[in-house]
Parts: sequence; C-alpha cells; structure tokens
Amino acid sequence: MTDAPQGSGPGGGGGRGGDDQRDLELIAQWKAGDQRAASALVERHAAALARFAVASGERNEVDELVQDTFVRAFNSLDGFRGDSSFRTWLFTIERRLLLDRRRADKRRRDRLEIQEDDAATEYDALDSVVADETERRMRDAVTRLSPTQREVFTLRVGEGLSYKEIADAVGTTEGAARVHYHNAMRAVKEFLDE
Amino acid sequence: MNDCLNAEMRDRLPDLLHERLEASARAAVMAHVDGCADCRDELELLRVARGTLIKATPRVDLNFIVEALPKAPSRARALSVPRRRVWTDWRVAAAAVLLIAGGSSYSLLGRHGGVVVRDTLVAQVSPPVTESATPEVQQAESARTAEAPTPRPEVVAEGPSEVSETSGLGTSRLGDLNEKQLKALLTEIDQLSPSPITEPDPVTLRVDTKGTTSPEGL
Repeated sequence: MTDAPQGSGPGGGGGRGGDDQRDLELIAQWKAGDQRAASALVERHAAALARFAVASGERNEVDELVQDTFVRAFNSLDGFRGDSSFRTWLFTIERRLLLDRRRADKRRRDRLEIQEDDAATEYDALDSVVADETERRMRDAVTRLSPTQREVFTLRVGEGLSYKEIADAVGTTEGAARVHYHNAMRAVKEFLDE
Repeated sequence: MNDCLNAEMRDRLPDLLHERLEASARAAVMAHVDGCADCRDELELLRVARGTLIKATPRVDLNFIVEALPKAPSRARALSVPRRRVWTDWRVAAAAVLLIAGGSSYSLLGRHGGVVVRDTLVAQVSPPVTESATPEVQQAESARTAEAPTPRPEVVAEGPSEVSETSGLGTSRLGDLNEKQLKALLTEIDQLSPSPITEPDPVTLRVDTKGTTSPEGL
C-alpha cells in the first residue's frame, strides 16, 4: 500500500497547476495595489478553509477562523515563497490557528472544570443540514476518525490535495500522510459496512 | 466493500475525483475503473464523502472576511507618497532657511567689514598702507572698499609680512597693476612657502574700537 504512487507524482496534481498559477497572479496583483485581487483569493479558497475547519472540529466560529487565516496570510504574504501552493499554505496557517484555539479552549475548560461528557459532539449542530441517510452515516464515519486521520481524509477527499501538499499542511511526511489516508479509508469502509 | 488490489490505481481515485490527473493518467485510471467494481464502489464512496463535507460546511460570509484584510501594500505606499513629499519640501525649506541665515550673517559681517578678535572687539583690518601708495590710490581704494559687497578682510601685521612691500603692491588691485608690477607680484608668489599656513604669524593688531572702516584708521 505504501508503495503506491503519490498524488503529486507522475500523473498526479496535473489539474492544480493552473489554479496555483492563478493564485500567484492574484497575489502579484494585490502586491501591485489591486485590492480586488484579495477578494478574488478569498472567493477561491474561503469555502475550502471552512470545510477544513468544520472537519477539524470547529463549529461555532468558522467565519472568524477563516477570516483570521486570511488576515494572517495577507499580513505575512512577503514570506510566502511559493514552495507550496497558496491553498496549502492557507491550510497550514488555519491549522495552526485551530491548534491555538484548541489549547485556549482546553485551558478555559480546565478552569471551568467541565466534564468531557458534557461536551457536545463535533457535528451535532449540523444534524439538520445533513438529511440523507448515506451522508449521515458518512458524517458519523468521519467523526469517528482520529483528528489526524480526519484532517488527512478531508484534505485528500474533500480538497483533492496530494500527499505532498497534505504533508506540508499538516506538518508530517508524505509517507505518513498516505498511511493516515489509507487507514482512514479503511475505517470509513468498516463503519459503513457494519 | 473490498479494496482493489491495484494500490496504484486506488491511490489515484481522489485525484480522478478532483480532476487533478493529466490526460494520459486520467485515461489509464478511467480504463481501470471501468473494469474494476471495487474501484467504482470506492470512487462512489469518495463522491459521497466529498458531498458530505461540502454540505456539512456552513456558508462563509466573504464580505466579512474581505473587510478585515489589510490594504494592498502598493496602495498604502502610494498614500504615503505625499507625506514623503512634505518631508522633502520641509528639508528643502530648512536648507533654504539655513542658506539665507548663513548668507545674511556673512553679508552682515562683511558689511561691518570686521572679524571678531579677542575680547569681542570687532576690528577692521586692512592691507598695509605702503609708503609708496599715493593719496590718490588710497582714496580710490577707500571708495572701492566701501562699494564692494563682500570685502575681503586681511590681517595686517606691523611685523614681517609674507608679502614684502618691495613691490609696492600692498594696496593695489590686480586690475590697477602694470605689467612690471604684475611680474614682481608673481615673483613674490613664487617665493612663498608652498605649504599653507594655518596659523598666522604672531602679529600685533591695531584695533580700532571706533569701528571705522577706513584704512586710515589704522
């Protein structure tokens, strides 16, 4: 399984090059003073960032998280060298923000001494949105994944990122990302087959 | 649901879903999927998973995000340009004021025709009046000194001077000299020390406390 070619290998990632190039053009336009380029970049990537946020367990302040991600990205755009795609870079920033929020939430929960059993499950608020039975079961299957598996599965299936891009975003290796993906896929299949 | 034994093809299914495969790779994967029920099932599972992730995500308010973004750097730089011009204008104005003040001071000093000597005495020092100078020459010199906008004060010493008075040129202007006098002056210049003298020779100044400008005051 681990010998399988990467998504970014031969034949993989062929459809993203144009998108990446367009991102670089928009970044250059923004640096040249075109504020509309910033709006275009937000329009291209905000939904993906929101999906990643939700899949990672963020429920209440998705807009704020995505906004913070873009603000931080644009403030440090000079540090973006294009080694990875702009979208991957955004995922990296958002993931760091998510981790910071979780640490802050954990400290707050510890202070309030809230029992873990009292916490709502991550997708409870979305029950009304997902009506289809198959999708509901899929949602449950994804919910049962470990946080890392869920991140990798979301980026691979939801966003189509290559293992290399996932590794950059999550801070791991391509091999580890591939293993996490296949473990996640096996877990999802097993849950759906029950 | 079984896993396809062709791990390579199975690994590319998400890329096929997101249309990230090049044409040749896409054709190969499609050909495999057409003949592989396991991969068709997994591809369908991926479609459902992707749809679920999209549906589970609330709609993002793009305007809310865009409003918080920093302004484009070049625009911010452009806004600061007028301020830079103001700063440049201020510096030019300051330089002009300094030049005017300096020029006025110099002109004022020149008008008084003196230099500040010890004990804040302002003295009018002039070239030595040689005995050979005729009264007409002295009178003309006085008139020129009064008319000159920036007179050149010279320190006059009673003692030995660098320029001897043998040529009788002490009070003459170059324009008033004849050829013989000019040659004599050049000869004296040639005999001068090549190194500049930074400190004047010890001299005794005659200080005219009345502040008259006439060389006769000495």
